[in-house]
Amino acid sequence: MSIAARQGGWGNADVKDQLKSDKAGSGRALIVLRNVTKRFIGKVVLDDICLEIEKGKTTVVIGPSGCGKTVLLKHLVVLLRPTSGEIYFDGMRIDTLPESELSRIRTRFGFLFQGGALFDSLSVADNIIFPIRQHCVINDWSKVDDLVRTKLAMVGLNGFQDYYPSSLSGGQRKRVALARAIALDPELILYDEPTTGLDPINADIINELIIKLEKELGVTSVAVTHDMKSAYKIADRIIMLNGGRIIADGDADHIRGHPDPAIQQFINGRIGTDDLTALRSSGVDRNGRLTAGGWKK
Amino acid sequence: MIETLGIAALERVEASGRFARFFARVVSTSASSCGRRATYPLVWNQMNIIGVRSVPVIMITGAFVGMTLAIQAYDQLAGMGLEERLGVLINISVVKELGPVLAAVMLAGRIGGALTAELGTMNVTEQIDAIKSMGTDPVGYLVAPRVLACLLLTPVLIVYADFMGIVGGAFISIVQLSINSSPYWSFSASGIELWDVSVGVIKGFFFGAAIAVISCYKGFTCRQGAQGVGQACTEAFVASFISILALNFAMGVISKAVYNTLWQPKVLI
Repeated sequence: MSIAARQGGWGNADVKDQLKSDKAGSGRALIVLRNVTKRFIGKVVLDDICLEIEKGKTTVVIGPSGCGKTVLLKHLVVLLRPTSGEIYFDGMRIDTLPESELSRIRTRFGFLFQGGALFDSLSVADNIIFPIRQHCVINDWSKVDDLVRTKLAMVGLNGFQDYYPSSLSGGQRKRVALARAIALDPELILYDEPTTGLDPINADIINELIIKLEKELGVTSVAVTHDMKSAYKIADRIIMLNGGRIIADGDADHIRGHPDPAIQQFINGRIGTDDLTALRSSGVDRNGRLTAGGWKK
Repeated sequence: MIETLGIAALERVEASGRFARFFARVVSTSASSCGRRATYPLVWNQMNIIGVRSVPVIMITGAFVGMTLAIQAYDQLAGMGLEERLGVLINISVVKELGPVLAAVMLAGRIGGALTAELGTMNVTEQIDAIKSMGTDPVGYLVAPRVLACLLLTPVLIVYADFMGIVGGAFISIVQLSINSSPYWSFSASGIELWDVSVGVIKGFFFGAAIAVISCYKGFTCRQGAQGVGQACTEAFVASFISILALNFAMGVISKAVYNTLWQPKVLI
C-alpha cells in the first residue's frame, strides 16, 4: 500500500526521503504528520500520530466520540498546533509557521465544519463570496456572481443566493458550507462529521457531493465521521482512531474484515457485552436505591 | 491550602499573559488595518452599530446625570448663598468625571455585552475557526474594526453625554430651581477650561479601547455552550467596569499632575 500510517519512530531522513519521493510522484503524499502529539491540560488527545494523506484520494477517519478525530482534522490545517511533532503540507513544514504565513497556505484548503459555521449575518451568496473577497481583487462583480452560481449549482442550491443561513435546513446549510469551502478551488477539503444530524437522504446527498468533488475537481479529501455507511461509500482509505492512536488503517474491505473485536464492535455499532450487562443491571433495586451497575466507560 | 493558592496564582498569571498577548496582537493588527482600505467598510459598519445606535441612550444618561447633580448640590450651595455657582459644580463634574465614566459604563453594558455575545457565539459555532480556515486573520477581520470603531466613537459619545449633562443641569437649575441664568452661565464659563473638556474626551479613547479589547477577548475565549457565552458576557462587563474606574483614577492623577505642572491649581468657589 502506497499510503503509510505508522505508529512510533520515524527518522527525519525517512520523512525527507518520503517527501522527495512524493515530489517524484511515487508516494504522492499531500500531508505528512510525523509523531504528532497533542495534550490539553494533562490529557493526551493525540498520541504520537504518524500519517500520510495521499493526493487525490478520500481518507476517512473514524472512531468513537472524544477519541481525537476533530482535533486531528484541525491539526491538518493548523487550527490547532501540536504539543510535539511535525506537520508537512506539500513538502513544507507548516506547524511552526506564523499565522500570516499560514493564512496564505490555508487558501489551498477547504474546511466543512460540523455545523456548517456559516456567518449568520451574511446571505448565502455573501458567505460564498467571503473567501474570494478576502483573497482576490474583484474588478468584475458579474464574474463573482457567475462563480457563486456555479458553486451553488455544484451543490444543487442555485437560486438560494439571497437566503440567510437561518432560513435553511440542516442539509442545505451543509451544502452551502460546502459551496463556500470550494469557493477558492482548494486542493484539499476537510470534512468534520459531514453527515451528522442529517436525515438519510440528505446524508447521502452529501456523500455523493464528496465523491463528485473528488472525481470532478480531483481534490484530496479527509473526512471525520462515525457514520459507517458514509465512510464505506466515500472512502478510498479508512483510518480508525482510538485513545488518540491509530488502531487500524486500510481500505473499506480491510476494515470490514479486521480481526480486532473493538473495531468490529465499533463498525457494527454494537454495545460491548460487559457494558450491556452493566446497563441492564443498573437502575433502581427493590428497596428503591439507585444502583450504578459498573459501566466500563 | 498553599498548593491551592499557588495553582490559583499560576492560573491568574497565565490568564494575564494570554490577555497581554491578545492585546499586543490587537494593537499591531489594528494599527496595520488603518492603512488598508478593505478595513474601512467594516469599521464604518461597526461605527453605525456601536456609535450611532448608542447616541440616544448616551444622551439620556448624560441628561439625568446633570439633572441629578443639580438637585443634589443645590441645597448645599444655597445654604452658603452660592447657588449661582451651581453651574460650575455641575458642569465640571459632568465634563471631567461623571459624563465620561457613566457614558463608558453605559457603553460597556450596551456595546461590550453585545460584542462578547456575538463573538462568543461565533466562537462556539466554529465561525471564528471558519474565518481562520479560509486564510483570514479573525483578529484583523472581527476585532480590529470593533476596536477602531470603539476607539474613535467613545470620545464623540462622551461629548454628547457632556452636552446633555450640561443641558440637563441647566434646565433643572434655571427652570426648576429658578437660578438666574446669566450668572449661572457666566460662572460656568469662567470655571471650566478647554483642558477640563479635553481630559474627559481623552479618557474616552482609553475607555473605548478597554471596552472593545476586553469584550472581544472574552468573546474569543469563552467556553462552549449557552452558559459559557452568558458567563463571558458577565465577565466582560465586570472587567470593563473595573477597567473604566481604574483608568479614570489613573488618568485623574496624571491629568492633575500635568495641569499643576503647567498652570496654577484653580479655585472654583
